[in-house]
Amino acid sequence: MVRRRYHDGLALHQALPGQFLPFLVAAMSFLAALALAGGIAAHGLSQRWTHGAGAVTTVQVPGPDDPAAGSGTRIAAVQDIVAHAPGVATAHRLSDAELRALLAPWIEQTGDASLPLPAVIEVHTVPGQDPMPPLLPRLEAVAPGVLVEHDSVWSDRLAALAASLQACALLAVLIVMTVAVCVAMAATRAGLQTRRQAIALIHSLGAMDSYIAGRFASRVGLLALVGGLGGSIAALPMLLAMSHLAAPFSAMTDAQAVAPMDWHSPRAWADIVPHALLWMLLALPPAAGITGWITTQLTVRAWLRRLP
Amino acid sequence: MFRLHDVSYAYGGNRAGVAALSHISLDVAQGEFRWLLGPSGAGKSSLLSILSLEVQASAGMVEILGVPVMQARRSNLARLRRRIGTVWQDFRLLPDLSVFDNVALPLRLQHRAEDEIAHEVHAIMKWVGLENRLDARPLQLSGGEQQRVAIARAVIYRPALLLADEPTNALDERQAGRLMAMFHRLAELGTTIVVATHNDAIVEKYPAPAIELAHGHLVRDYR
Repeated sequence: MVRRRYHDGLALHQALPGQFLPFLVAAMSFLAALALAGGIAAHGLSQRWTHGAGAVTTVQVPGPDDPAAGSGTRIAAVQDIVAHAPGVATAHRLSDAELRALLAPWIEQTGDASLPLPAVIEVHTVPGQDPMPPLLPRLEAVAPGVLVEHDSVWSDRLAALAASLQACALLAVLIVMTVAVCVAMAATRAGLQTRRQAIALIHSLGAMDSYIAGRFASRVGLLALVGGLGGSIAALPMLLAMSHLAAPFSAMTDAQAVAPMDWHSPRAWADIVPHALLWMLLALPPAAGITGWITTQLTVRAWLRRLP
Repeated sequence: MFRLHDVSYAYGGNRAGVAALSHISLDVAQGEFRWLLGPSGAGKSSLLSILSLEVQASAGMVEILGVPVMQARRSNLARLRRRIGTVWQDFRLLPDLSVFDNVALPLRLQHRAEDEIAHEVHAIMKWVGLENRLDARPLQLSGGEQQRVAIARAVIYRPALLLADEPTNALDERQAGRLMAMFHRLAELGTTIVVATHNDAIVEKYPAPAIELAHGHLVRDYR
């Protein structure tokens, strides 16, 4: 007995051609990748400004080795208070070398290397907390003349700007998704219209709604997956270039920011792209496929409702 | 097998539509063969459309193979359609499928094994005398051949209810005779059969109980 190729009359390769939908989904995915990359970059900058170098509070203690109001030296007393304060993540006293490196431009201008320098403590606070103002009276008590400097006003403003950029990126992604859903719906409806006689026939022969919707959804889901893959691949070079340009701004330390890049190392390229961005690029094709599948299922089932 | 009680049907909705059937009540038992008679426009095709679940009655009660159609869920209606075979007047063959694939379609929708499908299709196509045209497309066939393919598709899954709208129109006398013999054989095996026709000659040649319609009304239901 001859075994014949399976045919159910829907001829979806004619109803849903394989060029138009993948191309549009690829374009949507490309735009979504750019918008998401913008959001992720804004998030990274926000992290740096609120948790990284921009969120450092410096405590200057003049005459650090003088006796404190209670017992021990002034610097030891200040360090003790700061280190044990709630909301302080780390407190690091800069070494003489670090301090002189920091002040090198001014020291070179004065030409006086023996200038008495205050001790400086670099304080990293827990994100979202500002423990220093309540500590000031206690620090003043043990080390009069202590100076606390924090650029929280600027970092807060920059963080707010970053949050706005993230919201814009999210909005852009939602718009792109909405357009992609509309495109999938339009393509599906066109396909249903093209094959309406075949659909009506197999419906009258007892085909379940789930069968017809499943056949269409599989086709659209696959085409959307291919389109999503194309969009992700197309976006990758641009995102790599943008990540490379943005690397100095998102580095957590100055050393990272100015470090030269090894152009021939894939590892170096992978390092400059935020991991969240890589995951997002990997997730885009299946997300496009699933979105296409769900949209088509709903569209076909709604269309089939017109049949008894 | 099927019961209609006070069934009405109007094209384009109940209020503004054109009445095609008015207050039809029928009760047809399992294994019965019935002619459905009446002139053009009498409502024969509308009645067959209601029985084949192609349209819903505008009013009344329809029960087919024990299923109350008006209250049934969509999935139950789909299952019910698999037990009803229909030969449409316009054949409704899919032009981009081969004859084999057209006839195999109902079995494929029931997820039968391909070997079984091939066996069944070859058997039925041999019976209708088209075993050599399996790879042809419907548009490559004559009207009579297309009608035989449509008949083969309707009976291949041995439906419990078989509906046929003018099934002998495009057949010669010999083919029509073979078809009627098959219908009677199917009825003996328990299939309920309703055949719509306005061909008086064939009704006289193969006498059987008849349902007669005129202007959408049931004129006679005699056995």
